[in-house]
Amino acid sequence: MSELNTAVQEPKAHPRRKQKEKKPNSLWSDAWYDLRRNKVFLVGTAIAILLILMAIMPGVFAPQNPLACNLVDARQGISSEHWFGIDNQGCDTFSRVIHGARISILVGLLTSVVTGLVGGVLGLIAGFYGRWVDVILSRLAEIFFAIPSILGALLLLSAVGRDAAGVWTVVLALAILAWPMVLRIMRAAVITAKSQDYVTAARALGASPFRISVRHILPNAVAPVIVVCTMNLGVFIAGEAALSFLGVGIQSPNISWGLMIADARNRFLMAPEPLIFPAIFLSITVLSFVMIGDAVRDALDPKLR
Amino acid sequence: MGRYVIRRLLQAIPVLLGSTFLIFCTVYALPGDPVMILGGERRIDPVLAAQLREQYGLNDPLIVQYWNYISGVFVGDFGETFQGVQVADLFAGKFQVTIQLAVTALIIEALVGLGLGLYAALRRGRWQDHAVLALTLLLVSVPTLVSGFVLQLVLGVKLKTELGIDFFPISGTEAGWRSFLVPGFVLAGTSIAYLVRLTRTSLMETLRADYIRTAVAKGMPRSRVLGRHALRNSLIPLVTYLGADLGTLMGGAVITEAIFNLNGIGQQLFQSVARRENAVVVGVVTVLVLVYLLANLIVDLLYAVLDPRIRYE
Amino acid sequence: MRVTKGARIVAGTALLAVAVAACGGGGGGTATNDGGGSSAQPVRVDIAKPQHELSPTNTNDTSGAEVLNALFVGLVDYDKDKNVILRGAESIEPDAESKMWTIKLKDGYKFHNGEAVTAKSYVDAWNAAAYGPNVQEGGHFFSAVKGYEDVAPVDPDGEEGPQKAPEPKAKTLSGLKVVDEKTFTVELAHPYSGFKTMLGYTTFMPMPSAAFDGNGGIKREFGENPIGNGPFKMAKPFKLATDTTISMVRYDEFVEGKAKIDAVEFKISSDKGTSWNELRAGNLDIMDQLPPEAIATAKQELGDRYIEQPSSGVGYFGFNARNGEEWAKNPELRKAVSMAIDRKTITEQVFSGTRVPADDFVSPIVAGYRKGACVECVYDPAKAKALWDKNGGGKGPVSLSYNGDGGHKEWIEAAANNLRQNLGVEVKVDAFESFAAILDELDKGKVTGGFRMAWIMDYPSMENYLRPIFGTGGSSNHGRYSNKDFDELLVKGDSAKSDEEGVKFYQQAGDMLVKDMPYIPVYFYQTNAGYSQRVKNVTIDPFERIDLAKVERVS
Repeated sequence: MSELNTAVQEPKAHPRRKQKEKKPNSLWSDAWYDLRRNKVFLVGTAIAILLILMAIMPGVFAPQNPLACNLVDARQGISSEHWFGIDNQGCDTFSRVIHGARISILVGLLTSVVTGLVGGVLGLIAGFYGRWVDVILSRLAEIFFAIPSILGALLLLSAVGRDAAGVWTVVLALAILAWPMVLRIMRAAVITAKSQDYVTAARALGASPFRISVRHILPNAVAPVIVVCTMNLGVFIAGEAALSFLGVGIQSPNISWGLMIADARNRFLMAPEPLIFPAIFLSITVLSFVMIGDAVRDALDPKLR
Repeated sequence: MGRYVIRRLLQAIPVLLGSTFLIFCTVYALPGDPVMILGGERRIDPVLAAQLREQYGLNDPLIVQYWNYISGVFVGDFGETFQGVQVADLFAGKFQVTIQLAVTALIIEALVGLGLGLYAALRRGRWQDHAVLALTLLLVSVPTLVSGFVLQLVLGVKLKTELGIDFFPISGTEAGWRSFLVPGFVLAGTSIAYLVRLTRTSLMETLRADYIRTAVAKGMPRSRVLGRHALRNSLIPLVTYLGADLGTLMGGAVITEAIFNLNGIGQQLFQSVARRENAVVVGVVTVLVLVYLLANLIVDLLYAVLDPRIRYE
Repeated sequence: MRVTKGARIVAGTALLAVAVAACGGGGGGTATNDGGGSSAQPVRVDIAKPQHELSPTNTNDTSGAEVLNALFVGLVDYDKDKNVILRGAESIEPDAESKMWTIKLKDGYKFHNGEAVTAKSYVDAWNAAAYGPNVQEGGHFFSAVKGYEDVAPVDPDGEEGPQKAPEPKAKTLSGLKVVDEKTFTVELAHPYSGFKTMLGYTTFMPMPSAAFDGNGGIKREFGENPIGNGPFKMAKPFKLATDTTISMVRYDEFVEGKAKIDAVEFKISSDKGTSWNELRAGNLDIMDQLPPEAIATAKQELGDRYIEQPSSGVGYFGFNARNGEEWAKNPELRKAVSMAIDRKTITEQVFSGTRVPADDFVSPIVAGYRKGACVECVYDPAKAKALWDKNGGGKGPVSLSYNGDGGHKEWIEAAANNLRQNLGVEVKVDAFESFAAILDELDKGKVTGGFRMAWIMDYPSMENYLRPIFGTGGSSNHGRYSNKDFDELLVKGDSAKSDEEGVKFYQQAGDMLVKDMPYIPVYFYQTNAGYSQRVKNVTIDPFERIDLAKVERVS
């Protein structure tokens, strides 16, 4: 099977792009050049920017006060005044979705980035150096890995106390649980990439370990990690709500999509709108980052050029 | 390979100690006195409280309590709960339920995840690919409670009352393996989303490799290229994910178990945390650690099978 | 390019899409069409997991009480109007000052193992319940009996104090005396005219000699396989930790006459929504509490098989008046909070009518309840705002705490919205992972404002809603309310000549609560039950127990 590929596998040095350049481009700058012309990337970025703008200044997008609720009107459907209907507390779902963007996107992005960086870097090191470095990092990850999710949150509760509850504790609690998976995935990808011939070639040419790992291994190993991180984004946004009932999460009157979904789920059959709309926004957020992630991965693959 | 396996198994000991100690400290440090919690919403008489604390060694320093417990675990004694039930008895039936649920979920996850991922990769950029993407987004954003209830209502109640098909039980384990199908799917939901995306990405990367082009150019049948070359070379990240996911499925099934009335370890864990029953909590974590370590070990061994260039170190 | 698996996978996703679409419409139409069912099928009753093993002495939860009620018969029971009726007792007579009670038993009651129910069966069971080291849930019920402090002594200087609590001086209550085979006397520590009313609760049921370990304790096996004197007996032992059903069969020699059905199966469920689905699909026969989100559908689908009646529970907001936020210490501000809460809308929209607005500190099902007694429980935002401002309520923050594990979030949030809008204050809603955690933090002053509280009665007396929660040193006095005059009125009520006279004193005590507002009553619980077409004659008592002896199969 794989003997076939050995001879034809291309080293990572790239053919020139059809651009008038002065100096040889690195893989990463080539990728950036590609990205700027990639439609999927542009659309994804546009959506993400829109969402982030919404998170920064929700008032512009939703003129109504999300805390002005009238219980008597609870669960009224969509109307010209309430585009997304009214939730179980009698609040306007539209303005709550808009105002919920801030915490949700903040928590989702921060946690994804933190786990991606921690798990990614440690996974790269573990996979690349192997031996005792791998043993220590992998076993460390396993210690945290085996902790069921509810305990992870409680772990934090006992460590920092409920008074410290806020966005950062949520990010921390979720990150504690999620980084080992990123490490495992990155490590697996690095182990695969490491045995490729172009790495052997680069080694033979005397490239430094840092150069090999960043220039040759990382671009080839990053794809599955991007996938896991973009999916994590959605799971974190939704999962944040689970922490709030233990007292470590976001508490009312703060709004987040995760909380909105969690609050609406019991009465989903009676009133689906309060659940569907935040879920759609969550999906769109994930979608935008899936698009960006796909485009980045494609840009890093020289064979697609 | 034998030496490698033995080394890995020996390494399990510090991991086990690390995880259990972490958990033990956590439960120990949580607010809420276990003896007072035993009294529910009313206050327990202080005399009794003192006696119970003495009986369960709750006055000992943390490290002593931990040692007393963990030294028992190594000889197979998981201790007893505050209500005097042997933890081992508690585990017997419950782990069986949880393992059946987790394995069903893992099989569904593997089949659906790999299948849809493969399909999406082959239909890259077409509407089918986009449909699969939409489905993964749905799986990520719809909470377990909702998917669980909806499937229970549709497959359990409506299918029986409207069409007379009594195939999917609503809850419980009385119907044997059929009992685990719907909960297994619900539990696997989010993991399926991950696996679909991972499969698609991984497969597309391999399909672009030169040896695939070579194989196709040689005139090798498409199915053979796919199965023999592409899939096999894409599997490493996928089995990594699956292996690591088994433990998550076992420990994280609280809501699924509650909806489908499965008397498993997830619910027990939840209750025991609330009751600060360290013996049970640490016992569960011990088993989960072992499951993780074994699954990860098997996955690491598989790397070399899937790609002979990879060597154990 | 074609992969055969494709078709099947797409079919799978289509199914999911159908599922999502189907739920939008809600569940209409008729569901239960499983009319007949085989007669071999036991009557299946939904319960939550009992808190402890099945011993009358150690049961204080509604599920456990429900199960034991099928197995045991106590001295008294209650009729439809909550009046005491004698069951195991021939007579229960007090002396002139209601301190010494003489209880005579009826003949004919036997335990399922053939042993006759005697005075000793009661006295032994009660002693075992009260004996401190046995740690029985029912122990505190006997605090009224003389000699209780000798079997369950109290630490003289509180838990934190340096003195160690004394060992129990006695193993049995000195106030309990067996006179003869069928007679025993109970001497109370203080006169209490309502004692007879207490006796219907699970804790006071008799136990056979096989239950005791001969050393003041109760055998572990007994809790797994209790031997009772009631209409049903255990079909097989029940292991609390692992079993999911409790099976019983009819006890044919039951002296009050055989039960109508031959077998009962209690099914332990972890989710009421799931149980509701099981009931609709014909896999369950009786549910004693339906989930709020199912009420609308249940009314429609069950028709006259839907039961709605008041139950004994009361939901409150308690306050940390000791070391909490300023507003929580001021009775006038607490009244303002009370008037700012729109109870009617909350009970309708959040609880779908499974609760009703509270207008007194005691439940409507006990004698002495007065409609509208709590004048400041009426929703009046304008008055609330005026009172709040007049007493310097300020801008807050006002914090409301609740335990996140009990499904309370929705109504707490609704009440918080009320306060925000009507008082113009900032409200912080604070979830704790369990009620025990709230109690823990309450002492440390970390629960700074209001907290959720609820009370379900132990016996149908007004006193049971007052002393444990508001009496100085009461077993559930989490707000640490202490008022000498209030305590005195309770004592006067206890020693009153008649129940009617007692109630008058209790009502005066209740008026003091209305004046001080140590808690604010928010809602009264309701029983919302339903049953399948396979059974009829389902009735539920004020303890939310189903009278299974009366339930009949539809043939």
